[in-house]
Amino acid sequence: MRDVVITGIGSTAFAKHEGRSIESLAVEAGNAAIKRSGLERHEIGAVYLGNFVAGPLLGQEVLAGIIADELGIGLVPCTKVEGACASGGIAFRHAVLAVQTGQCDAALVIGAEKMTHATGAQVTSALNCAMDNRSDGPSGLTFPGLFGLTWRVHAAKYGTTRDEVSAVVIKNKANGLKNPLAQMGANLTNDIIRQSAMIADPLQLYDCCPVSDGAAALVVVAADRAKGSADLPIRVRAAIQTRGPARLAGNEDLVSYPATRRAAQLAYEAAGISAKNVHLAEIHDCFSMAEVVHSEDLGLVPRGMGAKWAVEGRTSVGGSIPINASGGLLSKGHPIGATGVGQLFEVITQLRGTHTNQVKGASIGLTQNVGGAGVAVTVSILERSDA
Amino acid sequence: MRNMTNATSENVTVLRCVDCGQLDSGPRDLCPKCFGKLEPHSVAGTGKLVSWTMIRRPPIAFRAEGAYAVALVKLDAGCQITGRLANPDDNATPGRSVIATGHKDTVTTFSIV
Repeated sequence: MRDVVITGIGSTAFAKHEGRSIESLAVEAGNAAIKRSGLERHEIGAVYLGNFVAGPLLGQEVLAGIIADELGIGLVPCTKVEGACASGGIAFRHAVLAVQTGQCDAALVIGAEKMTHATGAQVTSALNCAMDNRSDGPSGLTFPGLFGLTWRVHAAKYGTTRDEVSAVVIKNKANGLKNPLAQMGANLTNDIIRQSAMIADPLQLYDCCPVSDGAAALVVVAADRAKGSADLPIRVRAAIQTRGPARLAGNEDLVSYPATRRAAQLAYEAAGISAKNVHLAEIHDCFSMAEVVHSEDLGLVPRGMGAKWAVEGRTSVGGSIPINASGGLLSKGHPIGATGVGQLFEVITQLRGTHTNQVKGASIGLTQNVGGAGVAVTVSILERSDA
Repeated sequence: MRNMTNATSENVTVLRCVDCGQLDSGPRDLCPKCFGKLEPHSVAGTGKLVSWTMIRRPPIAFRAEGAYAVALVKLDAGCQITGRLANPDDNATPGRSVIATGHKDTVTTFSIV
């Protein structure tokens, strides 16, 4: 298969974009990515758009074609991709496959979501579409609840404490202050986190990512067609997608996701590297405890040490494996369909050495994007093309 | 001890494969092991608490209830089931024994014993 690189990238801020439409956000990000790629619009052979809740929250589907029309893309296949919170990561993988296999020489990936106009209960209900609603839905489970359940098992198994988990929150919220695209960076303390509202015991308010609006976009190109790019092309070393149990009761172990373990194994094999070779990672920290278990499943942090390594500063910028230098979902916000593409945007900026919270000397980066209760996972590995 | 229940355990209806006997809390159409036919099957409502959480921000359909506890239980019969926990407290740690003490629609309510 052909070598594939990412050239042009674009992203709106992840924020409360009052009065702006999802179309406007997606067009802003997509247009920026196309311009930076140096490609003409007719050279883009496919569009993959990640989105999750435009149906229930906006009453709008077929977004891929609508956005492509505004962007002046040709009469090419334009596909909306849905995999709950992994929609963006899956859209990226489809674009990579299309270019790798020669279906087209260039594909545009967009992730977009508009959520903040809805009430909290509407958002919670829309997000619950990502559950198996034959079993978990009727119990009244929510996604914060899922990680409340996970937390209790992690605490019982590894002795993980409230303040240790808070180290993840404090790190990501502080990183977010250095990222102009982040919705809600903050300087937090253990006390502030402890005093915040209980959401799904033991999970509290600051353990949860904010609801957000935003869009991000990337142009994926065959390596030999990337010559007009304004920016250093970034090689796609792996773009893996797996599935896992959709139902809570289908999980043999609440503190480890089989879909992530499998995706990580396949991604490291495809890239010909091990977890030790990764210089930084953007991990799906929809909740603080999610970063803890995902970092362990990815092999970046030893089993049971996800929170303890944050306490020791090992996952900070400057630590041995910086995790969520962007601020992660906890700071950036989680515009569902945009999130996976936003993670790639952050890693690409880091690998180009131009991030506002730069990890020094980073040449290999990883992203992990999780949908539902682990029903869909993507793991991607990127590398500088001159490395 | 104040939250302990004196209730006796109810049975729980799960699914059992007519071909290989595999149990699953369902709902699902095919046996997850051999893809045979599943039939309703009554098992003892006794088991161990895997974990639980208190849902304080419920989705629209459950808002009228206020806060409630959702639990994952490993039934002694062998399969896991998602249900409610009637008497959560700080002692409700993973591994505690639970029994089924009621139902709300299709969802089983468990209590710590």
